[in-house]
Amino acid sequence: MGTSKAGLPWHGSTLLRRTVGVVARGVAGPVVVVRAPDQPLPELPPDVEIREDDQEGLGPLQGLAIGLHALRDVADVAFCCSTDMPFLHTAFVSRVVEAMDDDHDVVLPVANGHRQPLAAAYRPSLAVEIDDLLAAGRLKPAFLFDRCRVLRLSDDDLVADRRLAAADPSLDSLINVNAPADYEQALARPAPVVRVECFGTLARNGHRGVRAVQAATIAAAAQAADLDFDRHVVAAVNGEQVTRDGATPLVSGDTVTFVSADAGG
Amino acid sequence: MTAEPMTDAPGGYFGRALVVDVGTGRATVVKLSDRVLRDHLGGVGLGAWLLTELAPVGVDPLAPEAPLAFCFSPLVGTPLTTSAKFAVVAKSPLTGLLTDALASSHFAISGKLTGNDAIVVRGACTRPSILLVDGAGARVEPADDVWGHSAAEAEAALKKRLGAGWRIAAIGTAGERGVRYATVSHDGRHAGRGGLGAVMGSKKLKAVAVRAATKVAPADRDAVLAASRDLRSRSLGKATAKYRELGTLANLLAFNALSTLPTRNFTAATFEQAPRLAAEDISDLRKVARNSCASCSIGCEHIYAAKGGKKARVEYENVFALGPMCGVSDPDDVLAASARCDELGLDTISAGGTIAWAMECAERGLLDAPWLRFGDGAALLRALDEIGAGTGIGPLLAEGSRRAAERVGAGSADFAPHVKGMEMPGYEPRTMHAMALGLAVNARGADHNRSGAYEADLSGDLDRLDGGQAHVAAAVETEDRAAVMDSMILCKFLRGVFTEPFDEWAALLCPVTGWDVDGAELRATARRIVALKRAYNLREGWTAADDWLPERLLSEPVQVGSGREASLTPQRLRRMIDGYYAARGLDTQGRPVPSGDGAGSGAGQ
Repeated sequence: MGTSKAGLPWHGSTLLRRTVGVVARGVAGPVVVVRAPDQPLPELPPDVEIREDDQEGLGPLQGLAIGLHALRDVADVAFCCSTDMPFLHTAFVSRVVEAMDDDHDVVLPVANGHRQPLAAAYRPSLAVEIDDLLAAGRLKPAFLFDRCRVLRLSDDDLVADRRLAAADPSLDSLINVNAPADYEQALARPAPVVRVECFGTLARNGHRGVRAVQAATIAAAAQAADLDFDRHVVAAVNGEQVTRDGATPLVSGDTVTFVSADAGG
Repeated sequence: MTAEPMTDAPGGYFGRALVVDVGTGRATVVKLSDRVLRDHLGGVGLGAWLLTELAPVGVDPLAPEAPLAFCFSPLVGTPLTTSAKFAVVAKSPLTGLLTDALASSHFAISGKLTGNDAIVVRGACTRPSILLVDGAGARVEPADDVWGHSAAEAEAALKKRLGAGWRIAAIGTAGERGVRYATVSHDGRHAGRGGLGAVMGSKKLKAVAVRAATKVAPADRDAVLAASRDLRSRSLGKATAKYRELGTLANLLAFNALSTLPTRNFTAATFEQAPRLAAEDISDLRKVARNSCASCSIGCEHIYAAKGGKKARVEYENVFALGPMCGVSDPDDVLAASARCDELGLDTISAGGTIAWAMECAERGLLDAPWLRFGDGAALLRALDEIGAGTGIGPLLAEGSRRAAERVGAGSADFAPHVKGMEMPGYEPRTMHAMALGLAVNARGADHNRSGAYEADLSGDLDRLDGGQAHVAAAVETEDRAAVMDSMILCKFLRGVFTEPFDEWAALLCPVTGWDVDGAELRATARRIVALKRAYNLREGWTAADDWLPERLLSEPVQVGSGREASLTPQRLRRMIDGYYAARGLDTQGRPVPSGDGAGSGAGQ
């Protein structure tokens, strides 16, 4: 690409901001970003933990180990992905994470016959196993899969999940942008279609009811709904977290609720 | 006894509380020193101090010796917007702990201008009576003719009898019958929570009537006028638009969308029929008027047409408690139930919560009332009638959900929706973890006015499903803010207009009182008031086990709109409570550590 993928602009935000937001929503837990030493990162939510990978050239397992170590005491399962998946959907993240069971250590999508180790779920306890592999110079993810219990999910397995089948039937979640042309092509796609609802005084002046708009972020959804997303307004996506962060990414099928910031009382 | 102001009283105060024994008719004066007033301000702060000083330890809330205090504030009588409020404070027959409820309008102004910062009622009459207080002092008169009438009817009849200038706070028949969540009302507004109406009824006191006899003297009249103009102007902006345009009922659909709308006795956090009760729609179809309290520029009160030509004042809490909480979605039924609560003088939150619990008991076969079912509006109205009349299941439900569950047993206490005996307001703790903590630890019980921690959950500044230290800090901060607002007294609907609230409140207080109070002092005052309430409760038998939530909320997850389940584990709540105790400087059992910074000095009868 000739530039850091993390900071690539994405519909008023950045690729990394989008990925972090989608993963956070998909796992409902903490998010860790692993970066090279002093690698500049775009603005991220304050609760994102940043860890540094100070050994270059060791491949994806090295970054994976650092991220999993960070989560060993706080999570039973971790979704691990790269930053360059502009169509990653929360339903995909949830599908993979929720497939983890007591009999497996890794949930590995195998889409179009290709393994997707950077769109997979891992037990954080595997960090120690990976350390051993790295020490032995065995740097490919395949070596890890040989040493642990892997649940492989084919395309059909993945879309057997109703939510994922509805949200991302062609598994665009797995599209990477590896070259400038990929990025331009991805950027040319329209923003996802989401539903917008306004309540209370925000529903006055013809804003009542559900409207479909194209928006990649909450700020864009507010703009499409002709709403000032100022300090008097907060938003929630699918009835979950309340936020004032306009950069919160949206995915197709989301419902964005706008309410007065003084809800309650 | 006439109202002679204390010569050394600070601006905005008279420096005295009038204590009337309605059994003997004898009135005495408690001098309120500058120190006592500055430490507790007025309203609920002053009420907590008076109760600590005047209530016998361990008193039965319904015994003649139990005091009932009507407390005013330094701002009452000034042109500062929303300041015409009074607090009614007593030991609650519902919780057995301190309760303090606010109401608004002209009773506050006339009551204070009798020349008293508080009027405290003790003793009990031998027959239905009213207490009159004006410049000539206090006297008790028979009131057999209005006993058995609604508060509104009694108020109207007494106004006619007493003549112009009298303002009246009265109880309905629920208070006369000792329903443990009966209200005291004035001009249709209720000091609602904790059974203050039952305390008044136990004294056979139908009403307290007050008539202004003097004026209030702020320390710097010009500065108060300037501050009033500024505050009024700010009160008309975006921060209060919700209250002006739709009232608090605007919360209903928003809460439903955010999965924080308790439904069918907390078995769900969304109500599929919520749109039928939406302010956005029924305000266009049914609204007949919008009113303001005296001295208020916001005008939050929205009056709706109810079935049978009646009118109902509608707030979010009424509609939540009598609607989704009971599974009832017909607006005619909900508005009728709200109007019925007004007539009887019932706290709608406790009435709705107790009936919702009873509906679940009936559906589970624990209560012999097969007619009582979730979603049945007629059953809701019948239950209210039986509570008001003391018939059928009424006497059981008049006790509130905690006592009723103790009698019914069979595990029904696990889903009785109360904290410390007080029924839960319309905020789902499993999807609002800061509010969960606020509800658990608040002195009054499950309460959204003394703990506004929901503000943090809905602010977008923290993860409302993952309670931790940030939620503790938010619960402490909002509780402190409420303590000052409820003592000064200012309406909480103004809270959005203040950016540095403690500093700005101090700036309002200075020209009224003449004190050089600042934001830091008000923060200390807030902590003192919160601590005083806790100390009073401890004295009356509170234990750490009372700072907790109903079992259902800690053992059953609830589904949010996305389909994900939200939960609040006992361990998480325990951690937050421990954090709250530490932040408050309490010991591990939630008990105040003596610091010499509480109440104690300054009284002299």
